[in-house]
Amino acid sequence: MFKYLFAKNEEIPPGTAAVYFGFSSILWFVIGTGLGSFNAAKLAFPDFVTGYEYFSFGHMRQVHVMAVIFGWISMAFAMAMMYITPALGNTRLWSEKLGIWNCFLWNAGLSLGLTLLWMGMTSGREYSDFPWFIDLVVLFGVILPLGINVWMTIMKRRTQGIYTTNWFFGSAVFMVWIVLLVGNLPEYFQLTGLTEAYLTWWFAHNVLGLWITPVAAAIAYYTVPKVTGNPLYSHRIGHLHFWSVVVFYSTPAAHHLMSSPLPEWLKSFASVEGVLILVPAIAFVSNLLLTMTGKWRFFVDNVEIKFTITGVLMAIPLNMQGGFQQTRAINWYIHGTGWIVAHAHLALLGFSTFLEAAAVYYGLQTIMRRKLYSLTLANFHFWFLLIGFTIYWVSMTIAGLIQGAAKIYEVPYIDTVIAEHPYMIARWVGGTMVFTGNLVWLYNMWMTARAGTAIPAGRLPHELAYER
Amino acid sequence: MAWKWDSPLYSLADEEQNDRARKVWEGESLGGIKEDNNRLPRPVVWLLGLTIISAFLMTFPLWGQRPTAAIYADYIALMDTPEVQELVETKGDDAAMQYIVKTVKATGSKWEALQDRHPLTMNDLRLIKDQVIELQNAGADLEEYSILGNQVIIANFEGNCKGPMNAAGNCAEGVERERKQPWWDRGYTIDIFYVIYFCLAVMIAIKRLPNHNWKPDHTKHH
Repeated sequence: MFKYLFAKNEEIPPGTAAVYFGFSSILWFVIGTGLGSFNAAKLAFPDFVTGYEYFSFGHMRQVHVMAVIFGWISMAFAMAMMYITPALGNTRLWSEKLGIWNCFLWNAGLSLGLTLLWMGMTSGREYSDFPWFIDLVVLFGVILPLGINVWMTIMKRRTQGIYTTNWFFGSAVFMVWIVLLVGNLPEYFQLTGLTEAYLTWWFAHNVLGLWITPVAAAIAYYTVPKVTGNPLYSHRIGHLHFWSVVVFYSTPAAHHLMSSPLPEWLKSFASVEGVLILVPAIAFVSNLLLTMTGKWRFFVDNVEIKFTITGVLMAIPLNMQGGFQQTRAINWYIHGTGWIVAHAHLALLGFSTFLEAAAVYYGLQTIMRRKLYSLTLANFHFWFLLIGFTIYWVSMTIAGLIQGAAKIYEVPYIDTVIAEHPYMIARWVGGTMVFTGNLVWLYNMWMTARAGTAIPAGRLPHELAYER
Repeated sequence: MAWKWDSPLYSLADEEQNDRARKVWEGESLGGIKEDNNRLPRPVVWLLGLTIISAFLMTFPLWGQRPTAAIYADYIALMDTPEVQELVETKGDDAAMQYIVKTVKATGSKWEALQDRHPLTMNDLRLIKDQVIELQNAGADLEEYSILGNQVIIANFEGNCKGPMNAAGNCAEGVERERKQPWWDRGYTIDIFYVIYFCLAVMIAIKRLPNHNWKPDHTKHH
């Protein structure tokens, strides 16, 4: 990377930034899920690594969360943007050099931020845990350069039309910049109380709703038509999806605080909007599944489609849960329990991770012009990720229902802890399977770069998957 | 950007613009990706309609609220009757509570549904009895009070002023706020307008495209 930081833009091979972002994202995924497995072990086995302040759960939890969101998920997004945006505009990335600096600053800033979090320097605000000066690095060193590259690439495209994926990419980078700017205001201006609580959850909700969800969906809009060769089922439904994300996903922040003294009308408004999140979900799922018409064999044969369609299908339980768990009738029961942890993992480790993994698999093979080193290892990765995640999700959902019942019936806390113990062990098993799968993935992609068979000109990687 | 309003459900763009759109659509390759012009399948349209209706019905504050003191007033009124006292002494609390619930149900309480949703024991009733009677003696509206564990407290909902407001938009001196949560508030009114605006805006965006009867020929891609 360092040799390209000060090279001329023209001397940097196209796709270089995407490759760096791709490998960075896998590495952060390994680190993030490794930390998750470690933290889960602490919950499953209370005597595991005790006596060290820095390895206590309170120090480690947010390092796991932020490593996964800003390391794995967001860097995989950046990787996808670096190669998909120019591909859809029949052009090159506006600036490879900016992309490489972006990747360098991102890795450096994230390493610094996570180290500070680990040492205990935190804003104490969930999902916006970084201290304020790291927030500024994220704003100006991470998201802004990414946005400039994406927006300029779209502006300099060689097509008249802009494909659906690029609507989402361009607008999501803009929206998340605003979310980061406004959502962190409590840290810059020492806002406290209900204002801080509301802005914290406005931030957390919109990082999911205006960044992770739309960008993950945008990737699927690229992967499915590209790999299957089918046209996207409907440009029109793409419009419905895009605008419903912007309108209905940006407004329900107050539904995270249904038991707080926020104005009731705001909660009512947010709660209706919360259910209406199903509108973009229905548009997205129907458009992608209908695009698969006649090509369902890819769901079995092709690793990228396997990941993508699994992610698309996970959008159904994700949005059913998300829409209904925030209503007054259900929220009073599951609020503050493991149910929510299960839901958050369904969003990040289920829905979005499967879509991004497909983009990283496809992108790295395409840019490096190397056939996947081992399809067997890729399938191993898929199944370990899917089974591990499912064990995690089911066990945490059950644990959440137990906690909810215990909360309502005022069961002594220690009894709840004992009742949950088997599910905490299952959570650790599931999380560790995900971590193991990711280690295998890192090895597979590293070997693809080092020893993968070269893809002949004019061929696409997925066409060669079963050729020897 | 010519607009055509004679058949808005068919297309809002004139034929010249639609022709231009068709030409770009069929002739341009977006990184090797093609797009069709299919409409949303009808069952999915119904599903979206159902979602919008459900969004309102599911979120009304009728569901998942704390019980108000009012729903237990009839129970408390029966606690000191000779029949209940005798049952407590001879058959215990559970039998006495069953008798209270049955008697109130037989007389037809307007709170029957909420009483079923929030059952309680004789011990629970004893904990709140004196507080409820005190509020009744003070002439308080029991619907404005919630049962929170062993306490009867003023509901945390704060609605419109019961009387005039001052210039700053707050309740005038001595005027209290509504404490009974209504099943409808201005959040829902805003939602209705928001959903209508959304539907209109998306319909306009989509109707600016060539009608869905036109199917692009993807063999024209270069």
